[in-house]
Amino acid sequence: MCFMGRWSEDRVAGAAPDAASLAAARKLARPGPWSETGSNDVLVWGKCQGSGKTPYQVSVDLAAPAYRCSCPSRKFPCKHALALLLLWSRGEAADAGTEAADFAREWAEQRAGRATVRERRQSEQPADPAAQAKRLADRLALMDAGIADFSRWLADLVRTGMASARSQPYSWWDGVAARLVDAQLPGLAEQVRTMGSDIHARSDWTDHLLHRAGRWWALTKAWRIRDHLTPDELADLRVAVGWSVPASEVEGVEALPGPWLVLGDHRSDDGRLQQQRTWLRGPDGTVVVLLDFAARSEPLATPQLAGALLEATVARYPGSAPRRALFTGGVGTAGTARTLGGGSSIRQALDAESAAVASSPWRERHPVLLAGVRLSTGGSGWLRDEAGDALPLVDAPLDSLLALTGGHPVDIFGELEEGRLRPLSAVIGNAVVTP
Amino acid sequence: MTWLAELRAAALVGTARHPAPSPPAELGARPPEVHTAEESLLDQAALADAVIRAARQPRRLDDAGLARPAPPDHCPQASGEAARLLDLLLTQPPVGPELRTLLVADWLRLAAASGVRVPHKLLPPLLAAAGTRASVAEHLHPAIGTRGRWLQGLLESDHGTSDSGAGHQQGAAARDWAELAGTDATAEVERLRRTDPAAARTLLGGHWDNLAARERAAHLATFTANLGPDDEELLERALDDKAKSVRDTAAALLDRLPDSARAARMADRLRPLLRLNGVLRKRLEIGLPPEPDAAALRDGVPAQPRSGEPDRLARLDTIIRGAPLDTWTSATGRGPAPAIALLKGETRVLEAIASTAARRADLEWVRALLEDRFEPRLLACLPAVEREERLVRQLRSSAAPPFALVEPLRDLPRPWGPALAAEVLEQITAKNGGQLAVMLAGILPAALPPEAAGQCRQLLERSDDDAARRRVLRDAVQYQSFRQSLTEAFS
Repeated sequence: MCFMGRWSEDRVAGAAPDAASLAAARKLARPGPWSETGSNDVLVWGKCQGSGKTPYQVSVDLAAPAYRCSCPSRKFPCKHALALLLLWSRGEAADAGTEAADFAREWAEQRAGRATVRERRQSEQPADPAAQAKRLADRLALMDAGIADFSRWLADLVRTGMASARSQPYSWWDGVAARLVDAQLPGLAEQVRTMGSDIHARSDWTDHLLHRAGRWWALTKAWRIRDHLTPDELADLRVAVGWSVPASEVEGVEALPGPWLVLGDHRSDDGRLQQQRTWLRGPDGTVVVLLDFAARSEPLATPQLAGALLEATVARYPGSAPRRALFTGGVGTAGTARTLGGGSSIRQALDAESAAVASSPWRERHPVLLAGVRLSTGGSGWLRDEAGDALPLVDAPLDSLLALTGGHPVDIFGELEEGRLRPLSAVIGNAVVTP
Repeated sequence: MTWLAELRAAALVGTARHPAPSPPAELGARPPEVHTAEESLLDQAALADAVIRAARQPRRLDDAGLARPAPPDHCPQASGEAARLLDLLLTQPPVGPELRTLLVADWLRLAAASGVRVPHKLLPPLLAAAGTRASVAEHLHPAIGTRGRWLQGLLESDHGTSDSGAGHQQGAAARDWAELAGTDATAEVERLRRTDPAAARTLLGGHWDNLAARERAAHLATFTANLGPDDEELLERALDDKAKSVRDTAAALLDRLPDSARAARMADRLRPLLRLNGVLRKRLEIGLPPEPDAAALRDGVPAQPRSGEPDRLARLDTIIRGAPLDTWTSATGRGPAPAIALLKGETRVLEAIASTAARRADLEWVRALLEDRFEPRLLACLPAVEREERLVRQLRSSAAPPFALVEPLRDLPRPWGPALAAEVLEQITAKNGGQLAVMLAGILPAALPPEAAGQCRQLLERSDDDAARRRVLRDAVQYQSFRQSLTEAFS
């Protein structure tokens, strides 16, 4: 099929993932922020000045259609791509005739040759090492500058006081986050964005922001001494700032055999992004976590059932235990476990959390398996172990837990987060169940 | 102020206005290598963060706050397809809310019949559904099992409603009842009246003199349930009450007792008013009652108004309603049907007779009256089978507009027989049947017998512009097929 004519505005509207994106795009669809726009038979491209220093590079492949933008939005296509298409459809920008911008042409070529590239990747050596080293140096320079900028912002924050930060609009936080994204620090950016809403949503916002600012501060200091960190410490730091390790670098490293027991899984949706965490335990007791992400409108990977034994091999990302992991091949089912094994007391679980904080201060969630705990429904719920120690619950479906446990002591697996437990599975009557 | 509190205070207003504290020596923090107040504060914030996270202690909770564990369930749990279908109905119902309610109630009935219980995991959504749908709530037991009752008890006590089991109240009823407030006291008499009418009568009789007029009237009105000759004594006493509302209530109740002394007195007042005339004695003349004497006034015959003409027809109505219906058969020497024929044209008298027959559920008169007039209140007195037969006949003759039949159709036990189902389907698929279809939408799916599903499916395949009617038929088909799956899952 070869439909390369100019799109109507309706067709552009039809490509929008939701009404909000289209509304945002209409606001952007004026020549002001745009530069270096152009189009040919198959491509429309342009640069859009956003809130950051570098303009976003936007390319649209009309044939597929496919969209690419250097902005951090998880909307697909994003408002920039939509705005560019709107301008082009109205004939207000991106007129044909110019030579395609480098970024757009590169992208189109990449797309066209992806299949062959993928095949080639298996056999060929990685690209030019000198160019790679240059890219890494560029990225580190950008990140260094971003961290320095963030440190100054933290100092400003405590100089003017957190009370005045609370009176700032959300856009203030979003602006800080956008600068962090531009500096290739998306993990930090996400934390700052979350703080922008937490500061109004949480009653303990003073302590929350104080401690978080302290943690961010420690992180900027750790970044500066990253050459002196152990590989695991450095890997944890990379996760915290959002410098991800490509899956392709992990896949070949190891292949830990199963069966892997699914301890529990959790899905969350923060409005921008859906996330699924699946906790697995290997035959030797190694605990790993699988992370799946999907844009809001896209389906997540099928959840694994708690208690299932998976016949699969797993490779772990670098970092301290429990490490993130991925499946290195197909996943088969090897039956169902009747129990999750021996658990710990609440005191032991908190001690383990303390030890984990000491070795990996950026980690916020710790998997725990509690033995023989009973449910109390006061407030948002509590678990109490045989010794009388108690732990508050978070995100717990209390009625469901009550119905399943009948108030009897059971083993519960969950995530320990800020001193509260998010229950993900329970062992009841010789079966692992999800509340 | 503790170090943490000072730190918080400084951070809140800013180091420009509040100096950063010094870290406590006992934490063994490294000596600061910082230059500015901001850096010092941020260093200490990082320290506080790490210290707090690394030093979390469990809280203590004594087991007084824990629910007493549930006793074991001896009934096996529904499994396989049956459990899956309930899960589907509760968590992602493939049908609309009305059908879902019907099907969940069906599931509970089938489970009870098969001796299995609801899986524990599904109890919370089921109890939530029962909270808004009475027809689900009434079928919860025994299908929810021991765990379900336990959970219900916990959730109710959480919501502040006390456990109102019948057991603990009965012994203390007489003493506690006097302390209940107005409507609660009435509700309690009503409950007792249904389970133990004599006890209710003793209770009310015992407190009679201490109650306000409004209370006497309201409590007495609940005696419509299980009314019998034993109640006559209290009702006669109430006819002498100071309050008109109480006297009226008692009179209305005595209207339902054709063997009572008051009925005999009313018969004595009615008999002289009836006279057969004509050569063939085929004309019944009905006179108007005289001005009531003290006894008639006591029995509820309306008094002479202070000014204007008395309503003599109303007096006649009162007497007719109070007298036994056989007064008419003995006066005319004929059975109910010919007696009614004699009264042709006397609409007001017939109306009074019909309402009397309906209130007393006098089947002989009800059947005779139904030949003359088709009234839902009369129909409601008949046994279900006979009601259904008469509705089929009524629909076939189409003498009454079908809308008048909606109430009686709703009141019939479900599912209907094939004859009635066929007749109703014909009516609603007729040219103007769409409105009837909508009026019956709530009951039709469960009312149509399984054999009618095929016909509904065929009707659905016809082209029909009436979206509401299509929906009703589609619901019926969906219900039948889901119901079929349920039956199979439990077999």
